[in-house]
Amino acid sequence: MQCYLGVDIGSVSSNFVLLDQLGRLHTKIYLRTEGNPVNAIKEGYARIKDSLSDNITLKGVGSTGSGRNLAEVLLGADVVKNEITAHAVAASHKYSDVKTIIEIGGQDSKIIILKDGIVNDFAMNTVCAAGTGSFLDQQASRLNIAIENFGTRAVKSRQPVRIAGRCGVFAESDMIHKQQMGYPVEDIIMGLCEALVRNYLNNVGKGKKIEEPIVFQGGVAANTGLKKAFEKILNASINVPENYEVMGAIGAAILAREHIEQNKTTTSFKGEKFILDGDFKTSSFECKGCPNLCEVVQIKRDAQPLAYWGDRCKKWETSLDSQCRLKIV
Amino acid sequence: MKRVGIPHGLFYYYYYPLWKTFFNSLGAEVVTSPATNRLIVDAGIQKAVDETCLPIKVYFGHVFQLCQQNLDYIFIPRLVSIEAKSYICPKFMGVPDMIKATIPGLPPVIDIVIDLSKTDKLLKKDIFQLGRLFTRDNKAIRNAYKKGLQEYYFCRALAGQGYTMSEAIQVWEGTSQDITGEYDLNLGLLGHGYSLYDENISMNIVNKVRAMGCRVHLPETCDRKSIEAEAATIPKRVFWTLGRKMVGSALHMDKRKDIDGMIYVACFGCGPDSLIGEIIERKIKNKPFMLITIDEHTGEGGLVTRLEAFCDMLRRRRASSENNISSHG
Repeated sequence: MQCYLGVDIGSVSSNFVLLDQLGRLHTKIYLRTEGNPVNAIKEGYARIKDSLSDNITLKGVGSTGSGRNLAEVLLGADVVKNEITAHAVAASHKYSDVKTIIEIGGQDSKIIILKDGIVNDFAMNTVCAAGTGSFLDQQASRLNIAIENFGTRAVKSRQPVRIAGRCGVFAESDMIHKQQMGYPVEDIIMGLCEALVRNYLNNVGKGKKIEEPIVFQGGVAANTGLKKAFEKILNASINVPENYEVMGAIGAAILAREHIEQNKTTTSFKGEKFILDGDFKTSSFECKGCPNLCEVVQIKRDAQPLAYWGDRCKKWETSLDSQCRLKIV
Repeated sequence: MKRVGIPHGLFYYYYYPLWKTFFNSLGAEVVTSPATNRLIVDAGIQKAVDETCLPIKVYFGHVFQLCQQNLDYIFIPRLVSIEAKSYICPKFMGVPDMIKATIPGLPPVIDIVIDLSKTDKLLKKDIFQLGRLFTRDNKAIRNAYKKGLQEYYFCRALAGQGYTMSEAIQVWEGTSQDITGEYDLNLGLLGHGYSLYDENISMNIVNKVRAMGCRVHLPETCDRKSIEAEAATIPKRVFWTLGRKMVGSALHMDKRKDIDGMIYVACFGCGPDSLIGEIIERKIKNKPFMLITIDEHTGEGGLVTRLEAFCDMLRRRRASSENNISSHG
C-alpha cells in the first residue's frame, strides 16, 4: 500500500498522520512538543515507523505548523505549507460543503471562511494569546483539574457564571473573585468557556460572516464545554471531526499527495536512516557581519550543518547550496 | 564646508531628495545615518518616550547615530502639514522638542516649521532663514529650493514605476535596483511610507511578497487624481494627509480589475492607523484584505505564515474561478 506522511509541528503538540492514496487515515500520533521540536520529530517518526507494516511505501511527505521548516530539513518534505491552507484542505476533504472553520491551537486561533471549497477569507489572533489553548491549560492547572476533564466538568454546569473575556489576565482575576464568592467549579469553568468564545468572536471572528456548516478543530476542540459554548452563542450546530487534533497534519498529507500526483515526481523524503541514526543538534549564534546582529540558528546532523535560518540578509541561509544538502542523503 | 545631518527615518522616505539637493546647492555637505539596523532600533527604543510608535522610536535612534558624526547642524524639521487643510500625525509636531529633551550633546538643530495648512508664506520665510545659514544670496536660496523640488518630483516619478520610495532614493543616488521578477499575482500594499519602506521596521515585507511571486502596487503607483476622488467618497473628510492617501488608494485598488488583493501594514500604537485600518477594512467590498500590525518584535514567523496563507488563498481562489473545479479533495 502507498501512503503519505503529514507532519504538523506546533508550539504545544506535534502530530503525525499516515494517509493512504484515497485519503483514509491509517495511523495518527499526537505528541507534546515540550519545547523540543527536533526530538518530537524524531520520536514521532520512530512511532510512525513502528506502525508501518512491510507492504507500505512512503510516497510523499508534507509539513506544516510553526516548525514546518525544521520538519522539512529533518525529513525532506515535498510540500511545506502554512497552517491556514493545511487546515482548510483537511476540513473541506472531510466536509465538502464546509463554510466556516474555527481552529484553536496552543498559541494561536484562527477563523477560515470558505466559499465553494476555497479559502475566501481568514483571520488569526493578533498580538494577544487570550483565548487559546495555553490559557485554558494554565487555568486548568490552577483549579487542579486535568485538562482532559475540563470539558466534561464544564458541560455539567447548570448556570454558567459571567466572566470578563476581554483579556486573559482580567479573566483570571474575575474568575478568582467568583471562586472566592463560592460559585461551584463547574459553573466557573463553563463561564470561562463562554468568555473564551466571546473573546474569540470579538477578536478573531470580528466582522466575519459565520455560516453553517461550521467545523471546530485543533487541540482545543477536545473541550466539549467550548463546543457547547460556541453552539449556544452562535445558535448553530458545530461539527467536531473525529480526528480534530491532527487536522493540520492530515491537510499536509493531502497537499503532499496532490503535489506528487500533479507533478508526477518522487518524494524527497530523506529516509529513515537519516532521521533515526543521526544526532541532531541546534545551536544559535549572533552574526557579527553587520549592525543588525541577527540571531542565526544552525542545525547540525552529527558534525554536518544541515541548515541555517534567522538571518535577514540570507547570507547563512544560502551558504549551503542544494548540492551539498543532497550529498548527505 | 558645513556638514548637515539628515536622519534616515520618517519623512526621509518622501523628502530626502529635496533637502539633500537644497543643502548641496548651497554648498553644504549632507550626511545621513545608515538604513535602520538593530543597533539603531535598540538605541531609539532606549531613548524615546514609550508611548510613541515604532517609526518615531527608530528616528530617535537615527538622530543618536548622527550625533556621533561631527556635524555643524542636524536637520529635524517640525512637520505640521504638507498640504492645505490636512495634517501630519500630531506626534511629528513634537519630535524636535522630544529629541532635544532626551538626547544630550546634539549639534545645533534646524527645526524649521513646515505648515502648509493655511498658507505657504511661513514656509517661504523659514526657508530663506534656513538658507542664510549658508549664504546671504537670496537668489541662490530660491534656486536651491527650486532645484530641490525638481529632484523631489523626479524621485516621485521613479516611485510611480513600481519602486518603493526607499528604492527610488537609491536609484536617484545612482545605485540601480532590480525589481523585475516572475510575478503571477498583483498585490496592493498600503501603509505609512516610513514604516512600509523601512526594511527593518516592516520586516522587509515588500521584498518578502515579491519573493512569493507578487507584483507590488503602492500608493505612489496609483493615479493621484483617482486617489483623491475615491477618498472624497468617505462621508467625513480624512484630514490626515497620509491617512487620506491610504483610504483613497485602497478604494481605488478595490475597483481595479488587475489587483488580486490588498494588505495594510499598520503600526502598533499609531493613532491614525487604528482608524484608517478600520475604515479601509469596512469599505473594501470586492477584494481580499488583510491587516498586519507590526511592532518591535523580531520574530518573522507570524508574518511569513500570514503572507503565505494570503498568497495561497489568492492563487487557489483564482484557480477555482478559472476552471470552476475544486482543486482539492
